[in-house]
Amino acid sequence: MALLRRKRDDQHPEAVPAPNSIPMCDAAPRQRVCVAGKVVRMTARPTSGQPALAVSISDDTGTVTAVWTGRREIGGITLGRRIAISGVPVKRGDHLEFTNPDYTLLPR
Amino acid sequence: MHVIVVGCGRVGSEVALNLAGSEHDVIVIDRKLEAFRRLGDDFKGTTMVGVGFDRDVLTEAGITPDCAVAAVTSGDNSNILIARVARETFGVKHVVARIYDPRRASIYERLGIATVASVAWTSARVLRHLLASESTPDWIDPSAKFTIVERRVGASAAGISVANVEAASSGRVAVVGRFGEASIPTPGTLLQEDDVLHVVIPADSGALLDAALEPNGGSH
Amino acid sequence: MNVIIAGAGSVGRYMAGQLQDSGHNVTLIDNDTAVVTQGRATRTPVGVTWCLGDACEVATLTGVGAAQADVVAAVTGDDEDNLVVSLLSKQEFAVPRVVARVNNPKNEWMFNDMWGVDVSVSTPHLLTGLVEEAVTVGSFVRLLSLEGGKARLAEVTLATGSPAISKELTDLGLPRESTVVAVLRDGHVVVPRGDTLLHEGDEVLVLVTGGVEDDVRRALVG
Repeated sequence: MALLRRKRDDQHPEAVPAPNSIPMCDAAPRQRVCVAGKVVRMTARPTSGQPALAVSISDDTGTVTAVWTGRREIGGITLGRRIAISGVPVKRGDHLEFTNPDYTLLPR
Repeated sequence: MHVIVVGCGRVGSEVALNLAGSEHDVIVIDRKLEAFRRLGDDFKGTTMVGVGFDRDVLTEAGITPDCAVAAVTSGDNSNILIARVARETFGVKHVVARIYDPRRASIYERLGIATVASVAWTSARVLRHLLASESTPDWIDPSAKFTIVERRVGASAAGISVANVEAASSGRVAVVGRFGEASIPTPGTLLQEDDVLHVVIPADSGALLDAALEPNGGSH
Repeated sequence: MNVIIAGAGSVGRYMAGQLQDSGHNVTLIDNDTAVVTQGRATRTPVGVTWCLGDACEVATLTGVGAAQADVVAAVTGDDEDNLVVSLLSKQEFAVPRVVARVNNPKNEWMFNDMWGVDVSVSTPHLLTGLVEEAVTVGSFVRLLSLEGGKARLAEVTLATGSPAISKELTDLGLPRESTVVAVLRDGHVVVPRGDTLLHEGDEVLVLVTGGVEDDVRRALVG
């Protein structure tokens, strides 16, 4: 089954990404980028005895993870929610990970 | 409420003296004993010599999730440490940190810490942040018909649109402070946890505004 | 590799010298004008780039190329500064490896991923060794000196082309005055036995006494 990649101007108005965002497949580590997508996974990731929230976000082209340290939840960030994040990611295995990025809740 | 003030400089001592006179109980922590002289002889609160981000010191100072913590030492870095330990290790919700360098503020706002940059800063602002129930307005117009108030958005209001808040309170959200930057919102802007709003409302609409920002009713 | 060291006290300067000698590109940041002026004037440590500034500020870190740094070592005498430098390095610049010095053991509990710290250490030697470890796969890295230098704990990560790959420990030909203490593989410790087979990527920890380092290096690195 071929994976169709939607072009921006074909997209449904509700699904318009944040204005400065780029497709996740184009994001490179160690550069400030903004990506937008849907929350597909949320895990409490306690490490070193402190809480942390790991959120996986996907657009049509890929998935990234955002980790917020010292928190178990963030208001408005729930499964299925569309959000945009902006930060400088590191490469973790085969995907990118952002630590405490700026985030914007997007309209449903 | 139990309030822990870390740093007994000019601001810390002002905040402590202010609070000690009211129904809150205050404890001031400072590394140096001499700093407590600023509190005078009649200080009704308690003092403690120690390092404010030391877990044992904070425990001994009676820290609990329901208390409030003001990190107002003379060092930005110390204040950030204190604020994060209070929030993340002890679960304190009402935490404010004094940051001298406004450029650092945005970085720490991202961690969910309410910061008060020293430029625009007075002990009154610290108090306002600490005691969320106090609603001293930013401004009241001369005819006393309108007022500008500051509100910090809680988790339960995340996702609510500015348009909704404006409709419910018959006001206008003039400015939204987020991650240390301020901007003028559009009606479609969605509120996020820890946003700082400056809202123009009719003088008697405070309760309506608060209700709009507390959609599940009651405190969390 | 590009290494940024925050804090030009004796620890920072020692590390800078060692790392620059090993061929890395080192920048030293300190906020003390006298220290930086003297460092620049005397050109010690040799080859190191000096920066006068507050390493706890994003602008300073940007100026010294943190966006391209492979390692940031926060080794000032102030734990608060070290934590903040670490957080900024990780959060704003995604520096792959952040090493931080703990001055007061009471603060050790904060020196972890909550503040962007990958490795925290309290002794200068260990710090240099760990930075090296981040920076070189395949080389022989000295981690610790024991017994006043009479014994050394070293580490080699087996790179492609290492003569030790696909060999059993007994077949390595390691000299008598050395012992393989542990093999770290995929996040767990393999207790080494004579028939333990080595793989590419294994981190081999070896204790060396006497003057046989070169032999051990030849067996593991080539």
